[in-house]
Amino acid sequence: MKARIQVVLCKCCTEMPKLLNMEKLQKLAEDSSMVVSVMTVDAVCDGKDLARIVGEAKEREIDRAVVLACHKKDISPNLLKAYRRAGINEFLIELVNMREEVVLPHADEPERAQAKAETKLKAALTRAIMLAPLEKQSEEMKTKNVVIVGAGVAGQAAAHEAAKSGAHTVLLEKTSKSLKVPGVIMTHAQLVGASGYGGNFQLKIKAGEKVEELGAAAVVIATGGGWTTLKGPLAKAVKDAVPLYKFYEHMQSGMVPKGPVVIVDTPDPAGKTMKVQDYAWDDTLETVIQLKKKHPELLVYVIFQEMRAFGLSELAYKEAADLGVRFIRYDKAGAPKIDAKNPIALTVKDFSQGEVLDLKFGTLVFASIPANQDNQMIADALRIPMTVDGSIRRGSIQRWPVTTPKPGIFVCGSALFPKSRELAKAEGEAAGTMAGQFVKRGMIEYGGSVAQVTPEKCSACLTCIRTCPYEAPFIGAANKAEIKVQACQGCGMCVGICPSKAIDLHHYTDDQVMEEARTLLGGDF
Amino acid sequence: MNQVLIVGGGPAGLTAAKTLVDRGTEVVLVERKESLGGMARELTCKGLVECRNCGVCFAMDRAGEILREPNAEVLLLSEVASATKADHGYSVKIKTAPRYITDDCIGCGKCVAVCPVEGKAIFPPTGSGQPRLHWIDKSKCLHFKKGKCDKCASVCPTHAVDFEDRAKNITRNVNAVVYATGIDPIDACEMSRLGCGILKDVVSSVDAERILNEKGRLMRPSDGKAPKKIAVMQCVGSRTVKVGVEYCSKFCCKYATKMSQLLLDTDPDINLDFYFMDLRTLYEPQDEFKLWAKSKKTVKLIRSMPSVVLPGKDGKLLLRAAGETDLDITETEYDLIILSVGMRPSGASAELAKSLGIQTDKSGFAVANHELESKGVFVCGAVSEPMDIEETAVRAAATVSKMHHQKEVGT
Amino acid sequence: MAERKPKVIGFCCEKHGMDAAVLSARSGKQFDASVRLVQVPCTGRVDGIHILKALEDGADSVFVLGCLEKNCYYDTGSIEGRKRVEYVKQMLSEVGIEKERVEMFNAASTNAWAFPEIVSKMVGVAKKLGPIGGEKQ
Repeated sequence: MKARIQVVLCKCCTEMPKLLNMEKLQKLAEDSSMVVSVMTVDAVCDGKDLARIVGEAKEREIDRAVVLACHKKDISPNLLKAYRRAGINEFLIELVNMREEVVLPHADEPERAQAKAETKLKAALTRAIMLAPLEKQSEEMKTKNVVIVGAGVAGQAAAHEAAKSGAHTVLLEKTSKSLKVPGVIMTHAQLVGASGYGGNFQLKIKAGEKVEELGAAAVVIATGGGWTTLKGPLAKAVKDAVPLYKFYEHMQSGMVPKGPVVIVDTPDPAGKTMKVQDYAWDDTLETVIQLKKKHPELLVYVIFQEMRAFGLSELAYKEAADLGVRFIRYDKAGAPKIDAKNPIALTVKDFSQGEVLDLKFGTLVFASIPANQDNQMIADALRIPMTVDGSIRRGSIQRWPVTTPKPGIFVCGSALFPKSRELAKAEGEAAGTMAGQFVKRGMIEYGGSVAQVTPEKCSACLTCIRTCPYEAPFIGAANKAEIKVQACQGCGMCVGICPSKAIDLHHYTDDQVMEEARTLLGGDF
Repeated sequence: MNQVLIVGGGPAGLTAAKTLVDRGTEVVLVERKESLGGMARELTCKGLVECRNCGVCFAMDRAGEILREPNAEVLLLSEVASATKADHGYSVKIKTAPRYITDDCIGCGKCVAVCPVEGKAIFPPTGSGQPRLHWIDKSKCLHFKKGKCDKCASVCPTHAVDFEDRAKNITRNVNAVVYATGIDPIDACEMSRLGCGILKDVVSSVDAERILNEKGRLMRPSDGKAPKKIAVMQCVGSRTVKVGVEYCSKFCCKYATKMSQLLLDTDPDINLDFYFMDLRTLYEPQDEFKLWAKSKKTVKLIRSMPSVVLPGKDGKLLLRAAGETDLDITETEYDLIILSVGMRPSGASAELAKSLGIQTDKSGFAVANHELESKGVFVCGAVSEPMDIEETAVRAAATVSKMHHQKEVGT
Repeated sequence: MAERKPKVIGFCCEKHGMDAAVLSARSGKQFDASVRLVQVPCTGRVDGIHILKALEDGADSVFVLGCLEKNCYYDTGSIEGRKRVEYVKQMLSEVGIEKERVEMFNAASTNAWAFPEIVSKMVGVAKKLGPIGGEKQ
């Protein structure tokens, strides 16, 4: 295999501090039959030096390069741009981290560092020769649609923000809510299926009795919390118990609640019926403060295990207590009970005092927001993971908030984890704006370092399909695995796990990885 | 929106900056300290094998990213001296203090070793702050105070010490200002009866995190031994009337429970007692930490606020607390006590904030409002209300969305 | 005859794995020059055969360094990486090679202390066990 390699040594990274013998490295490069240009520059990140590199690259008609510098992330964008001007494909540039792998950590061992540097150069040359040019491609996003599942607080906020970026928002609401929102709202609509990838999804939406197909560039899941369907022994015992938000609505419309008002954190204190839930304590505290201010004579009790009044709502906690709201803590051993045959009083053991209290109530309110039971259906439709507790699972925290592992699918509000309305709205705004910006690009970029199947080796065991978080592998017409390149993120998980070694990853092929390892291990230092 | 000024390089400022840059807007990020990351620089990753979602790496990854963005101008050791309203938005004057270290610095730390000043005058970047360049505090440096001493310059292997560095006055014209000056931790020494600052083995959560971030292990400061019996105390300085603050600092339960889990990961023999009022773990069911504690037989959750820490026998500590349900006072011995401190907003009432029209609420937090936003002034992050890193990221992204589409088209 | 230096090789992911190594170098940390690093996009890319071939090609110990589990840039990659390492350890013990020669580590991009500890541990294993099938040092 013939190659015309340019080797660039960056002084800033290899001589700062002076440890390596640059001349020896240069000589080693020059001695290679594949190397046609060896340059030493002051700093590879400097524009003038880049221009010199490009000039020399064009003159010597190189077809690939090895650059001895520092951490990839710090130099590559400008370097790759520069080489592109010389007509060199970005996948033919091999960057060697001399600075952080040799010069900095081995300051007291110049001989070993030198031998290691020479070995790394050899390994880089070996790898560079094995590299192949790869092309990135783009595909137009067929629609500007952002489909938002759920028209609650988070969903509406997402719609407003996504629309600002020029996206066409389609809100799917399972009830018959009528709202003023940008774009379109489909009532009695549920997401029942999806295929495709971020930028070009094909969604199946059940609206009423019909199932419609709709293309979408991005999806925002904002199904909210399941606070309308509260389950548990306390809810069973008291048929006319209200969820907090319903109670708040009644209050706003002027209804005077029948006292005493008892607000319990959950209708399921033993935690057996509902999976994950959190409590809308800031909304609860706001409600009881308003209630006491309007009707100071009303007896109001708040029964809880943990008073999760985060942040500034702690001040509301104090204000509510000052206004005469009675806060009663319980633990699992003394959990509240209601006699289903005579549901007029709530019995609970006050944690601090140890007394068992019998609280007669006129109105029973539940403050909990459990995970929405629809999450399972949405997760199945989009094939994204859920948590064990029944929420939609967020992608890794090192990436952006309100995202799922699949690009183009965002999640916000109580669908992500039960939370108060104010925070759900902020998350909706964040998800909406990110979805809008995603769609604004208008194009999906893909390809380059992606996986590829050799059909003859594939035994269609489906392992790759089960492993990939992005649904890139699929069983094609020939009953063999194929890779949907638009969805492939280039991680190589399918490649590593394939028991038939039928898949390889461009730019990190098995041969390239193993040869690099072998050359590095061949060095004596 | 062509150029935006971001005051503060913590999680909020960084997220806002990256979000803006991704939309093609130019950003001027002004950070008072020597590196980006804000309080997240000193916080430790709380996972050993499995991630615990503390959010610290999110903030620090953004710090590294923003330094590589050509459209982001990052000014460290800088403060905004003034921001005057103009037609286009704001005319901003920024003062940059000299670092005295060039970017040839490799972070080796030889300079710190030879610095003769007590407490040093040259420092590495705080915690995992980016960029990884040292800096000199002129007010402590003998080269400036006494006119001589260049020990650091002579020992630096890359000649990165530059005593000729000078302060700079920079003017920028921006369309909008994002005020994201973040928080200061509450000083645990305020709660003097808990022994912080007096007893060596009583550390604040900030100190514990700093040590874990640096070393990966938490040793007793007094004798360097591994602690086997640890007490973690919540709400130190928060939710209190007499000292500290009345509000809840929101993130302390999350960070402290995860730090406790990390401590047990590293040393499963540790006996850990967790003192708290309410378990306010964020984005987690209230039972999750309790179930974890139950599975680790050596972790106890005690719903009680200890009142006093005294020196115990053999270099141990004695913690006095009332029982959960009875009022029996017990004294328990510990090797190490960690006080989970809360936060106060930083810079919410600074001159700059006032000049921009930013007002504070009764707890001292900067208040965002529509009127300010229509003038191009946005407030985001923990300077506006208590929040953890994850929520900060969400709110910063939401703030950026508010910014665009504010006035004219052509964003 | 010069003492044979240990040979340690690590497969690091290009996200937090490499970030942790770079951060430690930029924090003045020193580590044994015996370590070689091969960058992969994700530790999920690492195949059992890469590890075994490395041992065949002269490595005394091999490690795989990725993002923390559940915080992998590619979602589940480092969990896959660990599965691979466990699989190789199982195979090694079946053919009579010490399991400790191969190890999986996870680190976050903010840990400057983690990488030198990992290198130190694996170099220690390499020195203690020596070359495979060869004389112990």
